[in-house]
Amino acid sequence: MTAQMGDPVLDVRNLTTSFRIDGEWYPAVRGISFALQPNETLALVGESGCGKSMTALSILGLVPTNNGRVEAERIGFEGRDLSRLSDEEMRKIRGNGISMIFQEPMTSLNPVLTIGFQVTEALIYHQNLSRAEAEREALALLDLVKIPSAKSRFREYPHQFSGGMRQRVMIAMALACRPKVILADEPTTALDVTIQAQILALLNELKAETGMSMIFITHNLGVVAALADRVAVMYAGDIVEIAAVHDLFARPTHPYTEALLRSIPRSDRDMDTLHTIPGTVPPINRMPQGCRFAARCGLARDICREKNPPLDPLGDGAEHAVRCWVRGDHDLPALTEDAHV
Amino acid sequence: MLRFTARRLLFAIPTLLAVMTMVFVLVRIVPGDPAQTILGDQASAEALQIMRERLGLDRPLWEQYFEFMGGALTGDWGQSMVTGKPVLSEILRVLPYTLELTLASLVIGAVIGVPLGAWSALHRNRWIDYVTRVGSLLGLSFPAFVSAILLLIAFSIQLRWFPVISGGNRATFSDWALSLALPAINLGLIMAAYITRVTRSSMLGALGEDYIRTARAKGVPMRVIVWRHAMRNALIPVVTVVGLYLGILIGNSVLTEIVFNRPGLGKLIVGALGQRDYTLLQGLMVIYTFVIVVVNLLTDLTYGLIDPRVKYQ
Amino acid sequence: MTDQTESLAPPSTRHPFVDQLLKAFRTNKLTWVGAVIFVLIVVVALAAPLLSPYDPLQQNILHRLKGPGPDFWLGTDAYGRDILSRLLYGARVSLVIGVAAIGSAMVIGSAIGIVAGYYGGKVDLVIMQAMDVLLAFPALILGLIVVAMLGPSMQNLIIAISLTAIPPFARIARAPTIVVKERDYIEACRALGYGDLRIMTLHVLPNVLSEILVMGSLWLATAIRVEASLSFIGLGVKPPTASWGGMIREGFENILDTFWLSLFPSLAILLVVFSLNLLGDGMRDAIDPKTRSDA
Repeated sequence: MTAQMGDPVLDVRNLTTSFRIDGEWYPAVRGISFALQPNETLALVGESGCGKSMTALSILGLVPTNNGRVEAERIGFEGRDLSRLSDEEMRKIRGNGISMIFQEPMTSLNPVLTIGFQVTEALIYHQNLSRAEAEREALALLDLVKIPSAKSRFREYPHQFSGGMRQRVMIAMALACRPKVILADEPTTALDVTIQAQILALLNELKAETGMSMIFITHNLGVVAALADRVAVMYAGDIVEIAAVHDLFARPTHPYTEALLRSIPRSDRDMDTLHTIPGTVPPINRMPQGCRFAARCGLARDICREKNPPLDPLGDGAEHAVRCWVRGDHDLPALTEDAHV
Repeated sequence: MLRFTARRLLFAIPTLLAVMTMVFVLVRIVPGDPAQTILGDQASAEALQIMRERLGLDRPLWEQYFEFMGGALTGDWGQSMVTGKPVLSEILRVLPYTLELTLASLVIGAVIGVPLGAWSALHRNRWIDYVTRVGSLLGLSFPAFVSAILLLIAFSIQLRWFPVISGGNRATFSDWALSLALPAINLGLIMAAYITRVTRSSMLGALGEDYIRTARAKGVPMRVIVWRHAMRNALIPVVTVVGLYLGILIGNSVLTEIVFNRPGLGKLIVGALGQRDYTLLQGLMVIYTFVIVVVNLLTDLTYGLIDPRVKYQ
Repeated sequence: MTDQTESLAPPSTRHPFVDQLLKAFRTNKLTWVGAVIFVLIVVVALAAPLLSPYDPLQQNILHRLKGPGPDFWLGTDAYGRDILSRLLYGARVSLVIGVAAIGSAMVIGSAIGIVAGYYGGKVDLVIMQAMDVLLAFPALILGLIVVAMLGPSMQNLIIAISLTAIPPFARIARAPTIVVKERDYIEACRALGYGDLRIMTLHVLPNVLSEILVMGSLWLATAIRVEASLSFIGLGVKPPTASWGGMIREGFENILDTFWLSLFPSLAILLVVFSLNLLGDGMRDAIDPKTRSDA
């Protein structure tokens, strides 16, 4: 199902992330697979609680180990399998080969350390630069992300920066070591609309300049249209639909994707409009048997409540796969009989 | 920062005046006649009258009040009713002993408590964490005189490592160190128990913050994350709490001074209470209040060193 | 935020509180240990007349300063009194003073805190300022002065210790009061014409009760520690009544020769205070989500 564009930068196969609740393990991400091509932006889309952020944290090995567990057939990156690396080996990749931008610029920067120090850090730990060299490089990065008078603000603290400026700092930190892959977890959600547009433009520009790939996590399909090459829609830990961005918008196939598109926010709105899909994502320790979306789906049949559909390509040659009994290429009557045998 | 300090000192004045007024009232509403206490039951009415005049007790209350307040503010704290020596010099004579004891125990408490609390937080819910938590709870269950007596029995009486009476002997450095060691360890261990607990909980809080995840995502080594990213944030509540524990520390120093028979404010206050030396008592209360005000100020100034968000306005 | 029908009914706090306490006992075994030890000590104190091998006040010159042995399990003091019997009776003094002092501090302190929080404004400012001044003073020194001035007696010890414990309870009660009084159902109560007193006792008090009770167990530990400290300084109940702090004081005079005179009461105090701290700490963990260990 992956594009034949050569070797992917990141190859995630059968990734499952589980959490322990009262002694039982429940999957939050369930056996998802995707490949990220060089200089591609893959958007992970879905409501909160459907496993998008966990996917990113799992790739970087940042899932809390006391009650979380990550299993994968393979997380391929630069010829290595990240799911088999020790924490120290992973540490050398974090912020270096793969880096991450978080949702909350207000809380994601350390309040007691200077901006300059926090940007410099990744350079010092990964590139063995001297402090002076690292500071020069960090200053260049702050210029790159268009922080005005970066030099004079180098020794200032996060609380002296606005939300948009802090997110620029986060981006500078993520870019510091010229990573191959950036995982951007709702990087604009906490920001004002005008600032959002600026940050998105900046990310697009930097992506084109540096040739990096990006996994962009969002619940906002408007942002997806502007930024992504390909889209994976996630629901309750599954990828329910994956397609090139124009394909998805032209032909949304999964009922959940359809519902998301129908509730697409105007450019000046954000979360509120998603309310139009009735119900909520089920909590991970109360997942229904069968299709996870069945309870909220207008098309649900008996089989939907009994068996979870596979993620199958639509049979028309396009790189478009859907996890749905009704809308996918399935012989429903035959399947229904099967289920009742 | 200078202006902030000045302003804070200015704000401390009402508190100081309030406490001094409270002291004045407290000392005067108690039953019993100081003159009688000083001269004993056998004193003649005449002698009592002369003593009252000497103590100023015959004058109207408001006059006594203003004289007391005025004197206290100008450094004239009167004479001890028992020894006749100036109160201020009596206090200043023993103050260094109490200060060195409390300072030494604070250092011991921080040196043990901060790393132990951080360590415990990092090994949350493992056996090391449980041992530390129960141990620190046990530590703060000790009345200071009980721990002092146990230390005395163990190290001075059984092992004979330290003098039994550490009466503040400071002839040589080793005398000084030996006489300070056991009392300071006693207070320091109790302090460490408190500090361990705060550090553990504030460290747990800091380690759960988003910025720690950011640091990990940058590939910062764990040891740097703990000591540089988490610790400085975790220390902010620790400083507050240490300021709040000053009262406990002062109370414990009184008990420690008694057990180790060490000069200091604590011994002075117990003596003054026993002999109903009201002027000395007033002076001691004022000095305690003063110490508390100064420590609160120092606590606030320390914030500024740790937390850049604090503005001295 | 909440819909109208829901906000009109005052939420019952009893049930969550009981649940939380049960959870404290279920998840943290040390809470059990603390509770069991403390209950045992209370039982022993109540049954002191039955359990004591000797009269705690009975002097016997022939058996002065005996070490621990078969006749006197924990030895005798300088007057030949049985240490074990005095320990058992001493538990009563510690518990009575502690419980009475903290009980009254809880009642007075929470009343002050609720009134300050409920009325707000100048009342709040003046009351809390006064509490802060009281709080600023080291508890032991304050207790020392009050007892020394009033004269050492059980009643005065209770007064002195409860005086030092009032400000913290006022603070604990005030904070949730300020939150609760803004809720819709309090507004509804006012609209229904309920008096302030009724609102405070029926609707505000239940909301602050759990925290006050938990803090009570921790402060009981402190009160017992302070009582022992005052007795040790010589400001405890009058001799010959046995109190642990007083026993340590008497033993301390002979510490070089007969250290066990101080040792046993020291351990007794430590045991009580520790058990109460274990109990209170476990309960507080269960109630306060911030310190909860499984969160």
